[in-house]
Amino acid sequence: MHEMSVLNNLMNKVTELNALHGGKRVISMKLRLGALSHFTPQHFREHFDFASRGTVAEGARLELTQMTDETDPDAQGVVLESLEFET
Amino acid sequence: MSSSESSEPGKSKTIKVDYLARVEGEGSLYLKIRDGAVEDAKLKIFEPPRFFEAFLRGRDFREAPDITARICGICPVAYLMSACHAMESVCGVRVDGQLRALRRLLYCGEWIESHGLHVFMLHAPDFYGFDDAVAMAKAHPELVQRGLRLKKLGNAIMTALGGREVHPINIKLGGFYRAPRRRELDALRGELEWAREFTAVALARLKELEFPDFERDYEFMGLRHPSEYPLNEGRLVSSAGVDEPISRYDCVLREVHVAHSTSLQSRRVGGGPVHMGPMARYALNHDKLPPEVQQLARDAGLGARCQNPFQSVLVRMVEIAYAVHEAARIIAEYAEPDAPAIAVEPRAGTGYGATEAPRGVCYQRYTIDDAGVITDCKIVAPTSVNQAVIEEDLRVFAGARAELPDEQLRWQCEQAIRNYDPCISCSCHFLKLDVERV
Repeated sequence: MHEMSVLNNLMNKVTELNALHGGKRVISMKLRLGALSHFTPQHFREHFDFASRGTVAEGARLELTQMTDETDPDAQGVVLESLEFET
Repeated sequence: MSSSESSEPGKSKTIKVDYLARVEGEGSLYLKIRDGAVEDAKLKIFEPPRFFEAFLRGRDFREAPDITARICGICPVAYLMSACHAMESVCGVRVDGQLRALRRLLYCGEWIESHGLHVFMLHAPDFYGFDDAVAMAKAHPELVQRGLRLKKLGNAIMTALGGREVHPINIKLGGFYRAPRRRELDALRGELEWAREFTAVALARLKELEFPDFERDYEFMGLRHPSEYPLNEGRLVSSAGVDEPISRYDCVLREVHVAHSTSLQSRRVGGGPVHMGPMARYALNHDKLPPEVQQLARDAGLGARCQNPFQSVLVRMVEIAYAVHEAARIIAEYAEPDAPAIAVEPRAGTGYGATEAPRGVCYQRYTIDDAGVITDCKIVAPTSVNQAVIEEDLRVFAGARAELPDEQLRWQCEQAIRNYDPCISCSCHFLKLDVERV
């Protein structure tokens, strides 16, 4: 039930980082999906397509890693590992 | 978040981030201000629906407490207790004696941890002028530390009875899977004694806060029990004269869908929005508080009724004092029961349960068949009932402050919403304010 909320938070952070680093748009994003995050890569892509519309991240390439360790401290979350901007 | 960079000049730049995305509050406030007066106020909630009522259908009646507990991580006891009472009422079972007392004790734990969280971590920073409790901890470390200690006591009570602090796993229809040993409850007495002293100290400090001059003539609604301050049981009463059994809840309050909220609002049939929660309980049940707690309320400057929602921080503190007092009483009188639960066999019919969650009445209605399969279900969370009265507060409150710059107005409106300790993520600092000035 919190998918859109997580994506909105992510879009806010990405927009903030893009501006901070003088990016024109986001080319790619690398993320880890926690084992207990309730996201599969396909599920995440569907929400991302919707949440990124009209933002600097629209059309960005996603590199997603589905984690399997339920004891990982970030198992319930989505971790943005890196961002590639067009400068 | 850590960051490092690599770049191809003129083309692209890659940064390492390691940022954990978080759930944000899904609420916003729309204000339409015409000629300096608020014409419209809408508290927009757009959390997606969670369909608990739908997926409870077809499940076994014994599963309802554990499933509904998952509705809220702050007040799971409210949901599972209302489910227990509803199912037991269908099946003609009444839980009494020490098992009933233990249920009240469990509820005391929830009030202490939930109210403690709100008073010290969410509400107090507003009055002291800090963004949050972390910022407040620098200036008032002892207040934040003692607030956390109080919350920890609530959690300890939850753990002693429920098996863990959040989403208890030891509660079932008819009682508990395992009743606590006498010594396990005795271990809580020292902290309860500390908490009894601290609640008086905290009230003395909180009463010195400056509260906005803002009062409204609410219709307060809550439970009322003939002999005790309500937690698990009571009739549904209001300051406008409602006095009905819980089985008549659906005749008293009607849920309505408004376009700007995915959460249903409620109106009293033949009336308007009603106010639930600590201020309502206090106004409707002041006479049921022990004299010692009534004295604390008087010392804090409260009468038998409080109509300034900003002073709900004081009323919550009084209710913490009551929960501490009641928990100590129950533990002092505790005798281990012969069995941790009584049997509850399914019987076709419809049952009703309502208990006093920290934020107000948590109502549930279930229909089950002879085999105990749930065929129909309704759950009403108190924050959804309070939404309409929050909007009314905002209309009046913002009306008197319409000339403030948007950022200042947003901050003050956030505080007005936080008065209700809403169980949406928005009880943290959240608000997207959309002001239309025409």
